[in-house]
Amino acid sequence: AEHREGQCPDLQDDSALTWIYKIAEPISQAYSLALYMQKNTSTLLQTYLQYQGSPFSDPGFSAPELQLSSLPPAAVSFKIWHALDDGERLSQAKGAFLALTQHLQLVGDDQSDLNPGSPILLAQLGAARLRAQGLLGNMAAIMTVLGLPLPPEEDTLGLVPFGASAFERKCRGYVVTREYGHWTDRAKPSLNSLLPGPSC
Amino acid sequence: VMDIYLRLKRLSWMVDNKRMRTATNFQWLLSTVVLLYLMNRVNSQRKGTPHDLKCTTNNLQVWDCSWKAPPGAGRGTLYELCIDSRSYPCYPLVRTNIEIPALPPGNHEVTISPQHGAGGFTSKFILSEKNVSLIPAAPEILSLSADFSTSTIHVKWNDHGSVFPRHSNVIWEIKILRKKSMELVKLVTHNTTLNGKDAVRHWSWVSDMPLECAIHYVGIRCYVDSLLFSGHKEWSEWSPVKNISWTPDSQNKVFPQDKVILVGSDITFCCVSQEKVLSAQIGSTYCPLIHLDGENVAIKIHNISVSDSSGTNVVFMIEDNVCGTVVFAGYPPDTPQNLNCETHDLKEILCVWNPGRPTGLVGPRNTSYTLFESFSGKSVRFRRADVPTNESYQLFFKMLPSQEIYNFTLVARNPLGGSESTILVNITEKVYPHTPTSFRVKDINSTAVILSWHLPGNFAKINLLCQIEISKINSVQELRNVTVKGVENSSYLVAVGKLNPYTVYTFRIRCSTETFWKWSKWSNKKQHLTTEAIPSKGPDTWREWSSDGKNLIIYWKPLSVSEANGKILSYNVSCSSDEKTQSLSEILDPQHKAEIQLDKNDYIISVVAKNSVGSSPPSKIASMEIPNDHLKTEQAVGMGRGILLTWHYDPNMTCDYVIKWCNSSQSQPCLMDWRKVPSNSTEALVESDQFQPGIRYNFFLYGCKNQGYQLLRSIIGYTEELAPVVAPDFSVEDTSADSILVKWEDIPVEELRGFLRGYLFYFEKGERDTSKMRDLESGRSDIKVKNITDISQKTLRIADLQGKTSYHLVLRAYTDGGMGPEKSMYVVTKENSVGLIIAILIPVAVAVIVGVVTSILCYRKREWIKETFYPDIPNPENCKALQFQKSVCEGSSGLKTLEMNPCTPNNVEVLETRSTLCKIEDTEIISPVAECPEESSDAEPENHVVVSYCPPIIEEEIPNPAGEDAGGASQVVYIDVQSMYQPQTKPEDELERDPGGGAGYKPQMHLPISAAVEDLAAEDDLDKTAGYRPQANVNTWNLVSPDSPRSMDSNSEIVSFGSPCSINSRQFLIPPKDEDSPKSNGGGWSFTNFFQNKPND
Repeated sequence: AEHREGQCPDLQDDSALTWIYKIAEPISQAYSLALYMQKNTSTLLQTYLQYQGSPFSDPGFSAPELQLSSLPPAAVSFKIWHALDDGERLSQAKGAFLALTQHLQLVGDDQSDLNPGSPILLAQLGAARLRAQGLLGNMAAIMTVLGLPLPPEEDTLGLVPFGASAFERKCRGYVVTREYGHWTDRAKPSLNSLLPGPSC
Repeated sequence: VMDIYLRLKRLSWMVDNKRMRTATNFQWLLSTVVLLYLMNRVNSQRKGTPHDLKCTTNNLQVWDCSWKAPPGAGRGTLYELCIDSRSYPCYPLVRTNIEIPALPPGNHEVTISPQHGAGGFTSKFILSEKNVSLIPAAPEILSLSADFSTSTIHVKWNDHGSVFPRHSNVIWEIKILRKKSMELVKLVTHNTTLNGKDAVRHWSWVSDMPLECAIHYVGIRCYVDSLLFSGHKEWSEWSPVKNISWTPDSQNKVFPQDKVILVGSDITFCCVSQEKVLSAQIGSTYCPLIHLDGENVAIKIHNISVSDSSGTNVVFMIEDNVCGTVVFAGYPPDTPQNLNCETHDLKEILCVWNPGRPTGLVGPRNTSYTLFESFSGKSVRFRRADVPTNESYQLFFKMLPSQEIYNFTLVARNPLGGSESTILVNITEKVYPHTPTSFRVKDINSTAVILSWHLPGNFAKINLLCQIEISKINSVQELRNVTVKGVENSSYLVAVGKLNPYTVYTFRIRCSTETFWKWSKWSNKKQHLTTEAIPSKGPDTWREWSSDGKNLIIYWKPLSVSEANGKILSYNVSCSSDEKTQSLSEILDPQHKAEIQLDKNDYIISVVAKNSVGSSPPSKIASMEIPNDHLKTEQAVGMGRGILLTWHYDPNMTCDYVIKWCNSSQSQPCLMDWRKVPSNSTEALVESDQFQPGIRYNFFLYGCKNQGYQLLRSIIGYTEELAPVVAPDFSVEDTSADSILVKWEDIPVEELRGFLRGYLFYFEKGERDTSKMRDLESGRSDIKVKNITDISQKTLRIADLQGKTSYHLVLRAYTDGGMGPEKSMYVVTKENSVGLIIAILIPVAVAVIVGVVTSILCYRKREWIKETFYPDIPNPENCKALQFQKSVCEGSSGLKTLEMNPCTPNNVEVLETRSTLCKIEDTEIISPVAECPEESSDAEPENHVVVSYCPPIIEEEIPNPAGEDAGGASQVVYIDVQSMYQPQTKPEDELERDPGGGAGYKPQMHLPISAAVEDLAAEDDLDKTAGYRPQANVNTWNLVSPDSPRSMDSNSEIVSFGSPCSINSRQFLIPPKDEDSPKSNGGGWSFTNFFQNKPND
């Protein structure tokens, strides 16, 4: 952030600098976290699939048709996503990570029933949930600094978790870990674009 | 009709008989058919009459009979039916059927006659129960329900039991049809017994196919087997079918969901789908699709294998979707193994077991365990979170007050079944106490301590058995068991005695109960030093008078650790006599002797050791020494480490014996150590680490008598004898012409290292430089040895020696430990002057006499001498040098000699060939070698020169040497140098055939190797004696291989040959240089000796 700040010689006003400090810190934290998360998402997905048995664990498994109604898919086209302003992007990403946080908790619970003897998987799911929560907090902080309206925290799951069959749980977990990766991929550049620097 | 009747009767009788014999329904049916047929036949013969009377019943109360009207009979025809015309009223009928109450058993005549002149004939039938068929009414399914989760169909219907007699058996047949095409999938029979009342019957069936996927139809019929009814029985009609179907609540579904099944069983999965299903797979295996109604499909899995922890996935691929389910294949729980219950503290019971074979099921499907106690009715459940892994499982059960015996049942259960193990324990016998804690040691006194420890647990009602391990340094561990009364959760104390004072002990403890089950783990170790006690005895004491006899030196030994009972701080010494007492106190510990000035009175000396606790009992010793006049010094030799002293028993010795010893080289009074021996023993093995081999010690045996010590024996000895380290110092006292007197000194005791046993004296002729007296032990004959065993002897005269001769003398001493080093000396005896004079005078006298006689003879015969030796004109006949040609090879012995002619100024050596003596080897062609017999040279007098020549040429020239005259035999053959080397072509063969004794000339290549050593020995002589030397450099001839041994031989040979050009004219024109050559003796010179390499030269 300091480096980028150095690229903005025009900003000499104290209040503007203060603002930049205020905004830069959560953004850079969120960006670093997203960067770190991105490195682990594919590992999480692979580990998850590996424990679900064939055909999930078969090499090259992919089922894009599987979706979860409770989880917004990261499926908005690039053009539309790009056309959105920062605030909207941030807002959508925040909503997605809120849902992801809850879903990762759900998947963790599902897997402790299905794979209670697999501490690696359970640990990875737990870690992913904590990171998603962390990113969520960072995004909320950014939105607060930017003065964007915070969407109300809502229970995205509702009654979904109860009564799901084992197969549904496995599929659900797959969709969640997959979308977790997709949303992380999407969030990182969005956060990057928020950083003040080239724009000033 | 009569006829028919009779026939019927007969038939029925026959039928009866048959029935009696066989009693099978089938035959009964057959006979009935026959009967009806006959009746038909009869009736048909009489057309126009009612025929084919049939009666059935569905409740055994009412018979429903019907017949066929005659063809002509129109509607409204009235009939009258009469049964057994006299017993029953007749029934007027307009129909052709009638319900009549059931008739009693037996034949009944039924008459059906048309009324009111309708025409036709009356028909008569014989009717009995046997002719009536029992066809129950079709049952009706009251309800059909399904449990989709278990794929179970439940059917309910009414059995109408009130209709039939009690205990009638009913067979229900139920059919299950599947799909809209109603394929029969199951037909089962179900037996019940009626109880006289209407009852609702249940039947359930588990479908292999999930009920959601296909419609299932159910129908039922029955067969009543009433024992009271003898007629024909038939199945009822099928009930109307009812169906079970499932309305899908969402798009696509796969059934069954999350099913847990036993490994190895078969299962069908189906998919309810609105779209076309493309494929189905279980795990990674694709399965063939079974098409059901609509787009629904199913797959059948046989012999399913055990699942992963997350289950086995079954996936159906639909156009643009996927649906699936998970099946968990595993095992029911194994019987819990090695169930064992024990308690640590009598508060909680710990039950441990092994789950046995893994079930393959985890999570919510995992085995749940419940531990149930039957006497108290209490139970505890095993929580899944407690599961360690797959090892031992354990459960705590809270003990109940005043219950000692527990009957535990451990129930294991999972979705596939359950199992259990039981164990009956008396918990007081299964106590495995915790590890004792807070273990402490406290002193009671110097030999006892108190151990205290804490043992959690409610042991108030039982006794504890504890084991104390007591170990001390350099000692075996001791285990002591103690029983302590158990208390409620408290500390325990126990006293441990029989310890040694002032000793470091290490204690630890473990506990069990009196009804032993298991020892607890050992507690921590505690090290403890017991307190000091007074020394248990006084020090071992001895005394010596100082050399001037004025002072008494008192010695004592430090007490051993076990006797000191603490750290010895000081000693007190006191001397008391009748008159006075002297004492020395506070002699600090490291000092172990004291000196007191005493007069010669009798004193009793007492020594006391003190530690911090107190003083030891005094050890007392008398100062008086009782003289012994009959004392002599003895010798003794020990056995390596020690020395054994023995003595005779002496009843006068009342107290004890003391053996003291010291190094004999020390000055008196000496004391190294002493040892006390009880008065009743007669021997003692004195051992000490201080003893060294080869050191002389003095041992003194004292006997204790009337409070005084008497020296009984004085012994000098060695624990082990060694050889002396020095030789005796000897010198020559006197020498004469034939004797030497030698005198030597004693060896000092320190250097002797043993008791001297004697001397060995060696002498031999020899001078200082040449003496070979190297190994004296080898017993060489020229060394004379004298063994001097009288060790007091200090001189030795050696007689019978030669005068003026150098003698080598050696003297060495020996002990039982071995020989000492030697000392040698050279002595020359004196000249014997008388003998010398005689030896000079006699030859002089003889020479004078001979000279005188010769002079006289020469004078008298001077004319003859002149004529003979110095004539004026020499006579050639007399020249002996020219006579040899005649005598060559004529004699046997003297012929080989070469007469030296004194008249010729030069010596000519002529080689003579004696064919009779020199054998030429026939086989040798290239290099013949002559062998001259040994005697030819041996027999020669020394002053003859043996000439042995064997011509090297061809054997043809040799065959008849005897026939040739002497002149022809003495050929002179010249061979040039080149031809001499010819024999090289066969060197190896000739070496073999030519042993060392080969005589005569040998070409340089043919000298045998075996002769090389002798040749070398002779070489020096050759160099000196070879007269003629060729002018050429001999080394240049040595072409073959100068460095080989053979070439060395040839070299020496060439030298001896003289000329390389002529081997026949081996004339040595120059006389031998060295006249002193030992064997030449007057110039005679033997070639043979050289060639034969005779060793005796």
